[in-house]
Amino acid sequence: MTAEAALTVIRALFPMLTALSSLALLPLIRLWRDRQHDDAATFATFAVQGMLLLTSVGTLLAGAGYVSTLKIGEITIDPSEPGRLLVVLGGIVFAVIVGAGEGRRASVMGQIALFGLAAIDLALAIPSGIAPIALLLFASLAISGAAASGKDDVGRARAVFRDFRTISLLLPAVVIAEILRTAISYAAIDPAYATPASLAAGTALGVSLVVIVAAGVFPFHNRLIRIFEALPIVGSLLVGVWIPSALALIVMSELSALGSSITDPLGGAIVPGILLAGAVTLIFGAISALLHDDIGEIVGFIAVGNAGWLALAAAAALSSPTDTSSRLIVLPGMLSVSLFGLWLVSVRRRYGTTSISELGGWARRTSANGIVLIAAIVALAALPPGAVLAARLNLLLLSGNPLIAVLAILGQVALIAAAVRLLLVGFTPASQAVHEAETRPLVNLITIPLIVGALFTAAAAAGWLALESGGTGPLPPAPSVSPGASFDPAPSAEPSGVPSAEPTPTTTTAPEVTPDVSPSGSGEISPAP
Amino acid sequence: MPSFEFPLVLVTILASTLAVTSAGRGAWVAIALLALTSSALEFSVADPSHIGFILRISAIGIGLIAALPEGLFEVEALRRDLALRTLFTTLREHPVVVASAGAGLLLGLVPLALPIESSSGALRAAGVALLVVGLPPLLTSRFIEATTRAAVVTLAGTLLLRTSIFGALDPLAAIAIGAGFTCILLVGGSVASRIAKAEEEE
Repeated sequence: MTAEAALTVIRALFPMLTALSSLALLPLIRLWRDRQHDDAATFATFAVQGMLLLTSVGTLLAGAGYVSTLKIGEITIDPSEPGRLLVVLGGIVFAVIVGAGEGRRASVMGQIALFGLAAIDLALAIPSGIAPIALLLFASLAISGAAASGKDDVGRARAVFRDFRTISLLLPAVVIAEILRTAISYAAIDPAYATPASLAAGTALGVSLVVIVAAGVFPFHNRLIRIFEALPIVGSLLVGVWIPSALALIVMSELSALGSSITDPLGGAIVPGILLAGAVTLIFGAISALLHDDIGEIVGFIAVGNAGWLALAAAAALSSPTDTSSRLIVLPGMLSVSLFGLWLVSVRRRYGTTSISELGGWARRTSANGIVLIAAIVALAALPPGAVLAARLNLLLLSGNPLIAVLAILGQVALIAAAVRLLLVGFTPASQAVHEAETRPLVNLITIPLIVGALFTAAAAAGWLALESGGTGPLPPAPSVSPGASFDPAPSAEPSGVPSAEPTPTTTTAPEVTPDVSPSGSGEISPAP
Repeated sequence: MPSFEFPLVLVTILASTLAVTSAGRGAWVAIALLALTSSALEFSVADPSHIGFILRISAIGIGLIAALPEGLFEVEALRRDLALRTLFTTLREHPVVVASAGAGLLLGLVPLALPIESSSGALRAAGVALLVVGLPPLLTSRFIEATTRAAVVTLAGTLLLRTSIFGALDPLAAIAIGAGFTCILLVGGSVASRIAKAEEEE
């Protein structure tokens, strides 16, 4: 292998190579520190935080473009800019969360985060077929299994079992959608078939189901709540928020391509159905977050609210394929929920309880946690108003239904109210658990990264850093229908219903982003020479 | 290969039916057989170097080794559980599943609509039958081991149906799906053992 080829491998697979190297590095560190100093857990945590930050910086430097495109025989791995952006930010976010979580298993959680981010990067780098969706679904299952291991907790095992069933059902849904999509081209040339519009509706339903179920849209919210209740926060965020968001980026690209390939209105009530599910999810998540008294469950319901936005975005991608607002809201949503996760793990670690009634005065006692929650609220509200808020409002306008818009706005306001309620509890008189808890000074190795990381993440989530996550491009047209000698010949006419234009995936880290510009900008991937 | 296609389809469907109806040894042996036959069918379409087939078999093999319950290979017990009479009794006790498998086979053999018309009939029949057999227990079973086996049957059926229409998976998809089979078996086995342990302690 030449040096140039080796460099391309490193660029293309940097997150995966870092994750794999952690399998060797962390046991060595544990062995070394256990033998000589008995502080293996602390050092392993520092090491994994370093690796997460290294993943972030290395991925930023490697970037996405033809120099990072790896070809191994028929296999092409073409890192996408959304995937790279998710890894760059994810490395920082999870490094801070692992640091705040501390404890014996913090380094294992860091490793899980490394592998989760590597899977997201790899999936968004695969340009074809069902491979990226399958990779993300199975990565989700593996992460929930790994995050739940190491502790004989039946609740965790049952949560993984529920997840297992869900994941096993989603892949057949994707394949059926793929088959229906292929049928669209046949329907276009043979009037004896179902209309392209009705077949497209079936395809859209099958593909949307992946996001609706994986993200926890109503009535599939229970899976998400159980995940947040049972799994450690790194596992919860990856399985419940980050991987579904990566899936959403793939699905939205597919829906955009589908929407642009159909001239008639889609059959059935697919778009109104998804819109209604999104609005109901927002309202349901918000009201539940207001009514519950366990901060783990409240953060879970805030994640449900975010899933509502993903559903609204999926509907917009289908009904307005050229509009980029749907993809713009994915990244801020996942960062906001991650900030709440950071706050949750930090408070739970400090006070050893998740009940609001036992957390009175927490913000006065640990002001760093207060800063993290304020950052999370700012991120959730997308303040000051800018690109993210504009994109959300644009989604509501695209829905074309005042009822949906009113429900979504009410839901978002109630979500913010639920978060503010958590903050207000922090300024009530101190409860016994809070009073007796040990605190550390504001200036130390854990608190400073916690505050800096939270402010950085909030800035990215609220739109101050103007990060734009585009799609991955549509899944390509279905493969040839006559791959082997045992098949009958395919129809001779060229399919006319398949999408012809491939939206360019965009990820811009330029200073300004306008949500409704067409996908282009500085983040375009240059074509391979 | 085409001359062996239909017998392989029948063995695959029989193995899938036993995988979801039997308990213990019979079911796990049926799953191993199902993995072998469904992979052979799936990669009979286009896999000149047999790499895809070897990869799939290895992936499922690794998963099975990790997921198999203890004491599975006791010779006497294996002989008893795999006796033809036992297997026949098992099938007779689950007429609905057997009827579903038969109906799936017939349904798959009849071309319903394009693009299915241009697909391979045998693979399509096996795919539909496996989906019909695997989906109900995957949706409803309370037992983790049974759900794990149903998930394997469903995934194998999905891939056969897909292959019958689109041909063999591309290399990356084949790797991802192979890893998925391993993951399903590993996670299913791990969850089953943890819950069984907790229930024993209770």
